[in-house]
Amino acid sequence: MHTSITKILDSLSKYGKIEKVHENTYFIEVSADKVREISEILHWKLGGHFSVTVGSDERPINGYFKVYHVFLMDKQKLSIIVHVKINPVIPKLPSITPIIPGANWHEREAHDFFGIFFEDHPNLERLILPYDWPEGVYPLRKDVSIRELRNKLLKSRNEGEEKRKAEEEYIVPIGPYHPALHEPEYFELYVEGEKIVDAKYRGFHVHRGIEKVAEERLTINQIPFIAERICGICGYTHNVAYCQAVESAAGIEVPLRAKYIRSILLEIERIHSHLLWFGVLFHLLGFDTGFMMTWLIREKIMDLAEVLTGNRKNYGLNLVGGVRRDINSEKIEFSLKTLDYVETKLRRVLDKMLKLKEVISRTKNIGLLNRNEARKLSVVGPVARASGIDTDVRKHHPYAAYGEVEFKVPVYDEGDVYSRALVRYDEVFESVNMLRQLLKNIPKGNIMADEIKIPEYKKGLGLTEAPRGENVHLVITGRDNKIYRWRPRAPSYNNIPSTLVMLKGENLADAPAIIASIDPCFSCTDHLVIIDIKRNIKRRIRLKELARRRQC
Amino acid sequence: MSARLHILKEALRTGVVTKKYPYEPIEVPEGFRGKPSIDVEKCIGCGACVNVCPPNALSAEIDLNKSVKRIILFLGKCIFCGRCQDVCPTEAIKLTREFELSTLTTNDLYQVVELKMAKCEVCGKPYATIRQVLFTAKNVPKDQRPLLLLCSECRSKVSAKYISYARW
Amino acid sequence: MSVKLFMKSLWVFHLNSGSCNGCDIEVLNVFTPYHDVERLGIKLVASPRHADVIVFTGPITRETLPKAIRAFTAIPEPKAVVAVGSCACGGGIWYDSYAVIGGIEAFYKILREEYKVKIPPTVYVPGCPPKPEAIIYGIAVLRGILRQKQRITYFVEKEAPELTKDLIINIEKYMESKSRKEICNEE
Repeated sequence: MHTSITKILDSLSKYGKIEKVHENTYFIEVSADKVREISEILHWKLGGHFSVTVGSDERPINGYFKVYHVFLMDKQKLSIIVHVKINPVIPKLPSITPIIPGANWHEREAHDFFGIFFEDHPNLERLILPYDWPEGVYPLRKDVSIRELRNKLLKSRNEGEEKRKAEEEYIVPIGPYHPALHEPEYFELYVEGEKIVDAKYRGFHVHRGIEKVAEERLTINQIPFIAERICGICGYTHNVAYCQAVESAAGIEVPLRAKYIRSILLEIERIHSHLLWFGVLFHLLGFDTGFMMTWLIREKIMDLAEVLTGNRKNYGLNLVGGVRRDINSEKIEFSLKTLDYVETKLRRVLDKMLKLKEVISRTKNIGLLNRNEARKLSVVGPVARASGIDTDVRKHHPYAAYGEVEFKVPVYDEGDVYSRALVRYDEVFESVNMLRQLLKNIPKGNIMADEIKIPEYKKGLGLTEAPRGENVHLVITGRDNKIYRWRPRAPSYNNIPSTLVMLKGENLADAPAIIASIDPCFSCTDHLVIIDIKRNIKRRIRLKELARRRQC
Repeated sequence: MSARLHILKEALRTGVVTKKYPYEPIEVPEGFRGKPSIDVEKCIGCGACVNVCPPNALSAEIDLNKSVKRIILFLGKCIFCGRCQDVCPTEAIKLTREFELSTLTTNDLYQVVELKMAKCEVCGKPYATIRQVLFTAKNVPKDQRPLLLLCSECRSKVSAKYISYARW
Repeated sequence: MSVKLFMKSLWVFHLNSGSCNGCDIEVLNVFTPYHDVERLGIKLVASPRHADVIVFTGPITRETLPKAIRAFTAIPEPKAVVAVGSCACGGGIWYDSYAVIGGIEAFYKILREEYKVKIPPTVYVPGCPPKPEAIIYGIAVLRGILRQKQRITYFVEKEAPELTKDLIINIEKYMESKSRKEICNEE
């Protein structure tokens, strides 16, 4: 028995004013002292989960900083966004990390970019900005432009270099280490012999300043192209999530045929991403035949995407209000033939590969994440579904054409690397089924909405299910065909902190498989640093080297 | 054991699939988004493509001394999205099917189109290319066509006189 | 100018300096059965000390700049550079962001001025992401097997009609008298 929507809204109305922005999306404004209470109720008592925290500088509009906490209630198909006004002179707010540990990185990011201080946060340090960033410079505030930032940073680069060299020499007194490369480390593993005792993650070397570029230089219809290039594997989901956020803020109705075309390409992307992941997992386990066979089957899917959109990746298909390219009956024939080939090949090969003794012994009961830990850290996607949490944006917050197809959501309980592989295996075949339904039932009609008018200063939320989990984009529209604030949140952001829990107590040889099992962005986890605390030796080693050396 | 035999059988059944590129050419499908190319006879130098290009790979330069306008396309920054093809009024810029674009210097990745500009009758400043003025003239009613020979500032001054006159 | 330094095979070190991974996956695709670049003798190595050629992807971000400089200087001479993708060739769609140096050209400027390092022969492979076949073509151009096709084109308009009131009022007559190609295309 789940609480109904009206009961939830009634119980929340005593905290502040509720505003309905779009179907199933509600904004509640609360005061700073009630934030912790309402977060606890939404995440733990009413069965929803925390999704993302967005900071925003709204001093030109209403004179305050703002923080938005987004919660998704799956069973009731609702999104509830709690927002707080913050004093512009001394910006601070009680942190919700003590109640929901998954909000740790989100609040650190708001601190990095806006200078908002979160009280009682366990470790409010720099997260995303580079090592040598000067103090007191907050890039996403509206009173500093990209050109000023570039001028300030040219000077500080050389000072940071000396600071970094001095610190590294202090940490590594003795022992062999790789002579060629000192660089910001990604995963630091503290080992005693072969067992991992503790782990830390230092990354975000791929920070390119997308949000500032999108706010200053790009127009509303140019942003889909930069959104696609956020990730090289699941870029189209970011594209769709942004367009949905703007369409919900402006109240634009997308024609049904365009929604079907978007769903078809989203599922094609899901299949290629999961096959890529299988290849990477097999490669890290030392099984190169599996790597080559899965990528061979994946090539046919890339050819299909090239026929439908003109490029193997970066489809460039969306604009706000619809799609740019249509699909005709020849292309539908070609797609169905490709799907038949892919399904028969996979059923013959992938099934047997997952039954090999070597694969099972290296993935079963490794990298455990139980349901309680998963809820605390608010993990999403196949990682959550393998730990017993039934959450899928396509079922619980239907978007595009997913309300019109039938499919199952696979959920397993063990929470180890093997069950994550089984979840993705089931999802590939569900995607093939969905694609067949979508291709056969596509309706006739336009592919672009007729009237596209975007009003000023309206808020919208876009949700999609990427191959790695849920994607959330929060958009506030602005003037002169520009966006005022855009926050894209990729699913790996919520998933990477869970590896630090999974790695404790495991063997060093299993570290590559565990890190790869959450399907993080390929390059972020390319390197490991292993710190042997007994012998005080620090070594930097590539993930693939570790996999190759420790196979026997 | 039987799982391994199945995988081996499937590998043998698949056989050799390697394409013989670069020793043989390959075909790309229709609708492939390859290198953008400007047709110099059709381009009117309006700059619509320059406005819409997300990475600013297309840029426009005005040389006041020689009174020419240059449209510069730099393939190094191009993201092959096709927005320039969507908005061009004369279908001058189109995405071809070429993808073999490697070069040994960045200088070879440029395409430049230089067009002559028209000078304003009143102030003498170059304001638009001659081709653009001739293209726009067709869609303007005959009695307002002489206004096209003026730059935008002088044009607004002249039209303001008409408006204030009509009020009386 | 083709680079005839290497006889047969090239050992390649792949460095991701802040890319979205699209180009990285296409570089990995080049080793899979459909394209199989290992038949041309090319091998991926783990350390820059073993490599002949460094493959850059991504606009160089501020965080990876020291890493890129050290990897670049660690490769022994003679060496070559392949810049894959629109981010490496010119900075891509975020060429002016505060967190990005801006592609290989800006990176070379820093190397030349601050580190006094000689610039090696470089091949640029545009594309977003470039097809695996385009990457193979780039390596073939580097080795001198194939000649590059793309050259700079500079068009200068020689003659243009004199704009007079008479011409512009009777534009339809003018267009009928001249051939269609000369002015602009009509529907």
